[in-house]
Amino acid sequence: MRRDLFVVSLLVLFLVLSLGQLGFFDLARLSRGASNLVLFSRETVPPDLGILPMAGQALVETVEMAMAGTILGFFFSLPLGFLGTRSFFPATFVVLPRLIIAATRTIPSLLWAILFVIIVGLGPLAGTLGLAVYTVGYLAKLYYEFFEGVDPEVVEAVMGVGASKLQLARFVVWPETANSILSQLMFMLEYNIRASSILGLVGAGGIGFYMQVYIQTLEYQRLTTLLLLILVLVIFMDYFSAWVRNHYLLVR
Amino acid sequence: MTKAAGAHPWVVQAEGVWFAYREENWVLRGISLEVPPGAFFTVMGPSGAGKTTLLKVLAGLLRPQRGRVELLGFPTDKGIPAEVRRQVGYIPQQLGLVRSLTALENVLMGCLGRQRGPGTLMGLFPKEEVERAQECLSLLGIAHKAGERVYRLSGGERQRVAIARTLLQNPPIIFADEFVSDLDFLRAAEIITAMRDIAHQKGISFVFNMHELPLVQEFGDYILLFKDGNILHQGTAKELTWPLVQEALR
Repeated sequence: MRRDLFVVSLLVLFLVLSLGQLGFFDLARLSRGASNLVLFSRETVPPDLGILPMAGQALVETVEMAMAGTILGFFFSLPLGFLGTRSFFPATFVVLPRLIIAATRTIPSLLWAILFVIIVGLGPLAGTLGLAVYTVGYLAKLYYEFFEGVDPEVVEAVMGVGASKLQLARFVVWPETANSILSQLMFMLEYNIRASSILGLVGAGGIGFYMQVYIQTLEYQRLTTLLLLILVLVIFMDYFSAWVRNHYLLVR
Repeated sequence: MTKAAGAHPWVVQAEGVWFAYREENWVLRGISLEVPPGAFFTVMGPSGAGKTTLLKVLAGLLRPQRGRVELLGFPTDKGIPAEVRRQVGYIPQQLGLVRSLTALENVLMGCLGRQRGPGTLMGLFPKEEVERAQECLSLLGIAHKAGERVYRLSGGERQRVAIARTLLQNPPIIFADEFVSDLDFLRAAEIITAMRDIAHQKGISFVFNMHELPLVQEFGDYILLFKDGNILHQGTAKELTWPLVQEALR
């Protein structure tokens, strides 16, 4: 109880100090910001619906990028996560897969996209690859943590009959963790859709490309249209992933 | 029975076995025992006596610090080879079943050691293995539950699925850890009867631990009374006297 209190006070102290450092308590600056906000928001309405056909196409490209990147990353993250699981492989063996996983996760997808723009040129392919690599780093880590949570008695029982590691993955690990694996995959898809909407900022295709253009040319009403479209997409994805979870995941 | 078991007078032999999870904190203190082929061998003792540890050491899952264990004629001190491992059935306390798979799929896992081709990875098992798996379920009276997922089965049914999986593995020896302790008396007696019949019919040795005295007296061919890592009594069920049991449980 006393330790909890100590931890909470420490957190509050840290919050206040860091907010102060960041200029949160600078009232003059905040009030200046507020008036800027009013000016800015006047320029953002009403949304310019004239760009809808073109924005719609860009949105489709964004979704394609997110889908392809997520699925591509998923296929690599399953085996990589399996190889990084301490309860199936010796500690010295899992070091390399874990290093790869940590390295890919350290760099955000935006930076990966920049890297791939350099490698494969401007366009959605760079965005897709960037998302895929980040997905591997993120999902593979979650997956090896799920895999390590598999009941060791079940693993022992199946390895005891002389099953191979692949059979272990197929008959124990997959069925025992499929729910968590798929639900994280849906989460990753949602995340990648949000992430892919800004990948265009670095020339990696999709709706982000137009966002960057409209910000630079101060066409805020058009920017509003794009933001509304992304909002609709994100809400749709929320419902879609809830539907997938309800219909396709095992209820236990 | 397999060649390895047939060639030796004992399926398991332990000589002066000492075991500790942490240094000098001995759980087993100089245990010596022999399990003859086809025996129904019961380890009995109070909770915390080290029964599970003894079973794991005998099954080659743990290596003793001192002494020697021979399993199907192979010393376990350097770890047992995979082909011997496949001949040892082990039913853990929580059974080790995959809850989201069906009873039949769980039983089929018993044949993974000899069916390592790519077909099994796609869920395709040879017809004769599927038939044998169904036979094992029939033998234990739950053939009608073959298609049911394990999380829908009762405790007793799960126990039977775990036994059926081990029977499909077809080992000359099966270790079962406390595996009837979650069942009521009648269910436990029913399952042990089924196991004893199978053991005698197929010449399989069963080594298992439990603490229900009436069951032990009724079913154990050989009984090991065990307390604080020491053997108090080793012999047939008839030789087990009330004062001995009292001393073990005190």
